[in-house]
Amino acid sequence: MPLLELKNIRKDYGGLRAVDDVSLHVPEGAIIGLIGPNGSGKSTLINLIAGTTDLSAGRIVFDGDDISDFSSDQVFRRGIARGYQEPSLYFKMTVLDNALLPVKGQRGEDPWYAPWRRYWRAQEEGHATSAIDVLEQVRLLNHYDTLASDLSGGQMKLLEIARALMGAPKLLLLDEPTAGVAPKLAYEIFQQIGRLRDDHGITFLIVEHRLEILFDFVDYVYVMHLGKLLAEGGADDIAAHETVREVYFGD
Amino acid sequence: MINIDIGATAVAVLTLFGIYALMAISLNLEYGVAGVPNFGQALFVSIGAYVAGLTYTRLLPLLAGEQVIHPCRATMGAALQLRSEIMATQPVAGFINLGFTFLIAAVLAGLVGFAVSYVTLRLKEEWFLALVLLVGGEIIRIVVRGADDLICSHNGISGVAQPFYFLDDPRASAVLFMLLALVLAALAYFYSQRLVHSPFGRMLKGLRENEEVTRSLGKGISLARAQIMLIGSVIAAVGGVLFALNTGFVNTNDYVVTLTLDVWVMVVLGGVGNNRGALLGALLIAIMDRITQIAAIALNMSGSPIEFNYARFILFGLILLLMLRYRPGGLLPESPLTTDAHEILRRVRER
Repeated sequence: MPLLELKNIRKDYGGLRAVDDVSLHVPEGAIIGLIGPNGSGKSTLINLIAGTTDLSAGRIVFDGDDISDFSSDQVFRRGIARGYQEPSLYFKMTVLDNALLPVKGQRGEDPWYAPWRRYWRAQEEGHATSAIDVLEQVRLLNHYDTLASDLSGGQMKLLEIARALMGAPKLLLLDEPTAGVAPKLAYEIFQQIGRLRDDHGITFLIVEHRLEILFDFVDYVYVMHLGKLLAEGGADDIAAHETVREVYFGD
Repeated sequence: MINIDIGATAVAVLTLFGIYALMAISLNLEYGVAGVPNFGQALFVSIGAYVAGLTYTRLLPLLAGEQVIHPCRATMGAALQLRSEIMATQPVAGFINLGFTFLIAAVLAGLVGFAVSYVTLRLKEEWFLALVLLVGGEIIRIVVRGADDLICSHNGISGVAQPFYFLDDPRASAVLFMLLALVLAALAYFYSQRLVHSPFGRMLKGLRENEEVTRSLGKGISLARAQIMLIGSVIAAVGGVLFALNTGFVNTNDYVVTLTLDVWVMVVLGGVGNNRGALLGALLIAIMDRITQIAAIALNMSGSPIEFNYARFILFGLILLLMLRYRPGGLLPESPLTTDAHEILRRVRER
């Protein structure tokens, strides 16, 4: 059984059909690419899965549960975290606060317990320990008390991934994780993604325009065009796929 | 010239500071930390004051073992005389009455704050809440004023004495009331500092920074906002009770929009998001209040045609504009390192 399954999902905006009858599978532990020209419906698809946008039709099944009607906070608590195309960090908060905020089940988030440190201090220590691991992994540990707004573009992308990881997701949805990042760092970001999959078994669904990097890391690729699935297959198949080359690369 | 009693002035300023500090801490938690623009600060303060108006006229006589006399119209004078007598001779009844006043005001304001925000914050724009509260405060004020029997309409309730009124020495009594205000302000300050340093504070800051992202990181944002509005409203109502006791008078005219603006000036001047800033803002406004009062009296006595009390509004408006233009973070801007997590992480790393 796949970890995530989209069954004939559709999204209409007035007269515009942004996502049209898309079905796809994301197996557990895989890195799946989602590509397509601008306006093909990739970001809408991510928003639909993440619960920030409501479905017009179809079902989304995640880890055995139908999550089609979940709101974004429920989706997150169920185990799907997301990154955004534009960095959406808490820019006026530190790297550490950014990382700790999404941790689930924090006792200190209950205003009854919040003023009394003894109720949540031990738990917070545990969370700080995981934050040390995660931040170390993305090489941001030494910047833990830096404001997120003072990070470089690439560091912001990494912090966004680290922040999502702190919610202990099974599936991570990333919308152009290398947008606006220098080529060398973009490659590093994908190396991190590969490592997270290998070491932590996290599954990825990634929208990406830098195909030359993406194709080095993905297990399987879905291609969208005008809201529909145009093709699917391994990286090599897609790179050689004639119709895909036509709509995507224009040749 | 007028004589200024330095000691009495200091006590008056510090008492006012304690009361303003409660209001400023309340707004700082709501707006400064959580980003909820509460333009109804006067509403929550007024709840405290109106409850005081009710308990002093309806509950206090019962606690003192007397008959309740209707506080308005024909029996107004008799009722005033009765509560003044009780406050002067039966301190225990006075304190118990004050305890109930705080309790009822806190519960009522907390309920209103929670309910209003939980309903309206489900709307997309949090500024709807600002409008609802701005208008709501005014509606409640007009309704209370219109209800002739509640707190006697435009006459208001006088003789709402502070609990140390029974002391023979008015100075000692004023000093003790000042201490009460300062102790309550200190409690509110330490409590809200603890909140800001906790994971709850972190979540509230997240809400302020980016509501959409905070929701998609699994947080129930409507509940968190309603919770901080509940806490803020309780603190504001406690401030409202003290405010009424300090003037000795409950009148709907005191709880208009300008009171809300005063509290906003305190927070913006002191430092948005920083509880210490809220204290500083409250202190500066308390001092300025006194200075403008003295200046108004002095001007009046010297026969000047200028009514200086109105200059206060111009002055506060100017402060607000200049601060927002040149120092939007306030005199004491918020530190990004507020949560205890930073210190906890340092310790964990040192091990």
